[in-house]
Formats: sequence, C-alpha cells, structure tokens
Amino acid sequence: MKTNKLLLGDEALAIAACDAGVKAFYGYPGTPSTEIFEAGEKYVKNLNDGRIAEWAANEKVAYEFALGTSYTGYRSVVTMKHVGLNVAFDAFINSAITGIQGGLVVAVADDPGMHSSQNEQDTRFLADFAQLPLLEPSTPQEVYDFTVEAFALSEKLKLPVVVRLVTRLAHSRGEVFALKTSLKPGSVGIPPTSEIYNWVLVPSIARVRYRELRKKLPALYEEAQKFNSLQTFQSAQIGVVTSGMGSAYFHQYKKNNNISDEKYNHLNVKAYPLDINLLLSLIKKSDAIYVFEENYPYLEDMLIPYCKGKCDVHGRRDQTLPVDGELNISLIRQALENRQLDSIVDENLFAQISSLIEIRPPKLCEDCGHRDAFNDITSALKNIGVDDPRIFGDIGCYSLGVQPPHNAIHTCVEMGASLSMAFGAAMAGMSPSIGIIGDSTFFHSGMPTLLSAAKVKLNINLIIMDNAIVGMTGQQAPVASDIAPLIARATGFSEQQIYLLNPLPQKSEENVKQLEQIFMRDEPSLIIFKRKCIIAMQRKLYLSEKKEALHA
Amino acid sequence: MRENPTFGLVVAGVGGQGAITIAQLILGAVWMDGYHVLQSEVHGMSQRGGEVSAHIIFSKDPVMSPTIEEGDADLLLGLEPLETLRHLKYLKKDADIITSMTTIENMENYPSSKKILNLLKSIDGVKMIDSDLIAKDIHFSHKGNMTLLGYASNYLPVNEEVWDKAIKERFKNKGNKMVDKNLHAFNTGRKLINNENSVYQ
Repeated sequence: MKTNKLLLGDEALAIAACDAGVKAFYGYPGTPSTEIFEAGEKYVKNLNDGRIAEWAANEKVAYEFALGTSYTGYRSVVTMKHVGLNVAFDAFINSAITGIQGGLVVAVADDPGMHSSQNEQDTRFLADFAQLPLLEPSTPQEVYDFTVEAFALSEKLKLPVVVRLVTRLAHSRGEVFALKTSLKPGSVGIPPTSEIYNWVLVPSIARVRYRELRKKLPALYEEAQKFNSLQTFQSAQIGVVTSGMGSAYFHQYKKNNNISDEKYNHLNVKAYPLDINLLLSLIKKSDAIYVFEENYPYLEDMLIPYCKGKCDVHGRRDQTLPVDGELNISLIRQALENRQLDSIVDENLFAQISSLIEIRPPKLCEDCGHRDAFNDITSALKNIGVDDPRIFGDIGCYSLGVQPPHNAIHTCVEMGASLSMAFGAAMAGMSPSIGIIGDSTFFHSGMPTLLSAAKVKLNINLIIMDNAIVGMTGQQAPVASDIAPLIARATGFSEQQIYLLNPLPQKSEENVKQLEQIFMRDEPSLIIFKRKCIIAMQRKLYLSEKKEALHA
Repeated sequence: MRENPTFGLVVAGVGGQGAITIAQLILGAVWMDGYHVLQSEVHGMSQRGGEVSAHIIFSKDPVMSPTIEEGDADLLLGLEPLETLRHLKYLKKDADIITSMTTIENMENYPSSKKILNLLKSIDGVKMIDSDLIAKDIHFSHKGNMTLLGYASNYLPVNEEVWDKAIKERFKNKGNKMVDKNLHAFNTGRKLINNENSVYQ
C-alpha cells in the first residue's frame, strides 16, 4: 500500500487490515459499516494474492466464517453495524472463551444519533460483557494505526479484538499515512495438538476455558493502558474524560479557541477495559469532571461511584449533555462555558427560517417496484374490507412504506422480525396476517419462519419484496437469488401456496385480484414480488445477468 | 484571528444532486494545496431524495473534528435553496453564502420558493447564482454544480492550477470530453466573480 491518501474511516480500516496481512474480509452490509468490506473487497481484487472478501447471509455467519479462518491460523476481519453484533453475539461471546488462532478483528460501527438505525446501542458494553478488548479510534489515521495494532494484540492475547467506529468516523474522510510495507497473508498454523480441546466448549472444557479468559483480564488492562493517557496540571481544577469522537471534538474545541491544554486535567481513553487507577488519579486532581464520550454514559457510569462526595460528574446523567444523540463541539462548549457561538442566524432570521424549513424525508425512488407492490397490497386489503390494515414490516428500503401515500408498513423492529411477528399474530387470531420482507433480509433471518408457517392452517401471508439486490446499503449482491420458492417447497409449502407477482403498474389490476383471493384463504402463502431495483439498473449492476430488463 | 485558522465549509443539497462529489472535489483540492483536512459525509438513505450535507474543515495545523460547530463555518455552498436555509445555522456572522436558485420540490409541503429566495436575498453575504441556467447556456445542463463550485472557488484559498488538477483527477475515468466539460463549467462559474450581473446579492 502507498502512503498518504484521503480515506474514509471505513476505508482506513480495510487498508490497515490488508497491510497487516489479513487473509479474509467477511461481513453483512449495514450503514455505517458497509464501506469497510467494500473497500476491502476492492483491495483484495487489486492485490490479487489469494485474499478473500465474502459477504455472508448474516452477521453471525460472517463472524463464524472469520473464526473458522482464524482457526486455520490466518488473520481475518469481520465487519458489521452495531445491531449486527446482536445477531453475531452468540459467536462473539463464545469466541472469547475458545480464543483465537490467527488474529481476528471485529470491526463494528455504531450509529449514535441513529442516522440509519433503529437504536444507538454502544458496542463498548457488548465487548465489556464478552470480556474482550476494544479499541476506540477518533480519526481516520487512528483507525488505520489501531487496526494494525489490533491484529498483533489479538494474536498476543489470543482473543478477538473489537475496533469500534461511530458514524462520524466511519464516514469521515481524512489524511492517512499508511505503512510502507504491506504484509502478505501468512498462517501461524492450526491449533497445535496440545490445544486441540480448547475449542470444544462442552461444560468440562468450557469451565476451564472460561477460567483462562478471566485470568487474561490483567493482561487486557495492561494492554489497554498503553493506549490511554492521563495528563494532569498543577493549575487545573477541572477534569475532562474523553473517548472516540469526544476526544476529537474536545481537541478541536481547544484548538479553535486557543485554549491551553493546561486548563484541564485530561484522561483520554482509546482502549478498554479501562484501569480504574487512571480514573482515581483524575478524581484526586479535580473538583469536577466532565465526560465527553459517544454515546452511552459508559465511562461516566464507571466514574460516578468513585466520585461520590469528592467531585461532581457532568455528562449525560446530570443532563449537562443530552441523554441521547451525537456529541458535537457546540455541546462541549455549552457544557464547559454555558454558552453557544453566535451564528449568522439571529433571532429575527431564526423566526423567518423556522416557518420555511420543512424536513425532506427520504422516500422510495420514483420508479421503484416497492411502490407498486405496496399499492397492490393495500388495494387488495381494502377491497376485501380491511380498511385499517396492520402489516408487519422489516429492515430495508421498503421500511419507507411507512410513509403516505403507502401507509403499508406498521412495524420495523429488527432484521427478520416481519415474518415471525406475522406468524405470532396469526397464531393469536389475526387474519389475514401479513409480513413484508426484502430478499436479502429474508436470507439474513427471515427463512426460519417458513418452517413454522408451513405447518399451520392459518391465514398468514409472507411477502418477499425481491429485487435481487441489497438495495438500501448501496446495492450489494445478495448471497442468493431466486431460491425462496424452492426453500418454501422444501419446508412444506405446496406449489399452490407460492405466488410470483410482477409489481408493474400495468399488472396492478391482475395482482390486486389475485391478492384478494390469497388474503381470504385460511392457509399460509408465500408471495414474491419480483422486480429489479431501479438504482441498480441505472448503475448497470444487473448487466452480468440476463439482458432482460425485468425478471418475472 | 487564530494563528493558524481553521476554515469550515458546509456543502448542502438533496440526495442525487452530487453534493458529496462536489465536497470530495473541494476536499481533494484543499488537501493537494497543502492543508490538513477532514470531511464528514452523509451516506445511507441519502440517495433517496433526502437531505445531504458534508462538512469540510481544513487548516495548516492538524484538524481532528470532522464536523463544524454551529456558528463557526466560513462558507456555505448550497446546491438547493431550501437546503441553504437549513444549514445557515452553521455559519459565522460574516460568513459567505453561495447558493443555487433552482429549487427541488420533491415533497408535498415544499414551502413557497418565492419566499425562500426572497429571504435568502435579504441576508448579508448571500450570493445567489442561477447556476443551472448558466450551465444550460454552455450546453452542459446537468452541471450547474460545477458552475457553482467554480464561483465558490473564488472564496477558497486554493490555487487555480490545483483546481484544474483536482477536476482532471476526478473525471479522468470518464474520458477527456467529460474532463473538458467539467473544466469549462467550473471556469465559467469561476469567472462570474467579474460579472456581477449574473450574481444576485
């Protein structure tokens, strides 16, 4: 790899992994993590030296791919967004107990502020729970440096190492100086015979292995300590704890305002688990402590019990900062100075602007087939007397079906929930019960519901919006296409319970009639709306397939 | 004045307009001209017609924050008038505002475009450019953005040769003709600084 480029935080992670001799990238798309894998895929192709980049059906599978690669002694990285780690959690937590062979880096991108997620959970808590080390960079350069170090650390501790990004870092572009040399992938070998049982977590071995993991904790603290720094000054009475983007914003705040470093005692946290002694030293030197971290009060909650009666802690708990959402420099200034900068927008202008600024929500593309499918579904329901339909939805572009004029999605919880919630509702008497899921989400975690649905005589309708692409995250190729009917047949759906519809305006009348009949039947049905993604077509992503514009 | 000042720039537009492309061009040019840079981009759902913005920060000193504090930006480049209004809060009192005049009314409750444009005209420091019309005049109708960027380049401390290089670099994969067209649109915009009649302020 050449030195000195402008890179996204996500791209910096991928380049660092290549430079550290990674053998394989695995993952499942999810904003803001997607570009890690995509960059990795590009480099793997360019390097052309036997490396692998492979999307998996879901994050758990991706994680296990990485763990399997690690078993063979090679370095691997698995990428996902924060909620993806929930899906991979079983593998994640137990891989701490098996340990690893080749270095395994878990790249997780959190989404404080929920730019494109259903929650803003903080991966630090999950790493803590699994008793695994976590590195938290705050610039694209640190993403690069920390990722290179994460592989070495992983092999030294024989544990997976988490690198935590957040949206503002994953999608920030900045200068990165990369290593001049890039390692070729090499194996440290499969586990030796003496360690052959370490990976077999039957209770008798798991007890031993879990004790081994607990014994590693002092080493984890020691390694983390090398990344973390505490600066105290004779003149300073205020302490500040920062991590990740909190560090970046606090640094810039001081720089932009010519504030001397010596004004604040500063504990800068870049790695976990955090040694409590650093906090105690800071408390000793400070009358009050401010905590700037993205985004749950993780460090703040560590600090509070030790500060009782000694110094005040200001952060999200005492509402010095908002309890939710992203940090920014403005919030830091507000916390430390109790004021904001005057902007060009004075009171008068603010009043005038406020009456004009309407939000501009994202919506389904003009010629998107989902629009037609929603129209067909709601029309059919109306025609059979369902005036207030409740439809279980899922995660993908089609979540936008919640908006008028569609009003066709009434739940969006997590990947795969549409079909299983529709099943649960049907079991409790909802008829017709309808779940809508995209093709990629179906393969991710919708499929198991087919096994249950095939066995019941209930009016449950599982609808797949099949555009043969992972649309929302940037049109990645799905792990499979066109096999949903075969799978349904194998689980027990009959030929007559599987419907392929083409959601085109000219087919609408026909589709509505057929759906009316389907929605009246007390039996499970699988309905597949097949039409290609308009953006993917414009980007000519289907060109490698058959020439037909629409597949039906 | 800070010793080595930090310069903050906001680019705002609507998904699909090319705001991120413009932002990346600026980022690349500023970086090539020797500044430390950071840029925050919006990805994800942005291509589906929602709001898109990018923050660019640069300085001769290293920069760490990829986002600009409200009230601290020096320049706003608005590719759509409503988006220009939305991002005014990031600007300093004496900041420059360069905005397109073409509204994109892809929502039912889009406010009166006349009201928006009149309000923009009333704000000190606003330069309104009918960039789409100008781009059409030079037979490059979908490159109003490049014209706008060309005009904005007068407000950025980047050498003309560096802009040239950055634009060539960006569009070279699309062939010489595209490079020339983009350069032409850029230069047309850049020269508007000498032709105050085309700029509503």
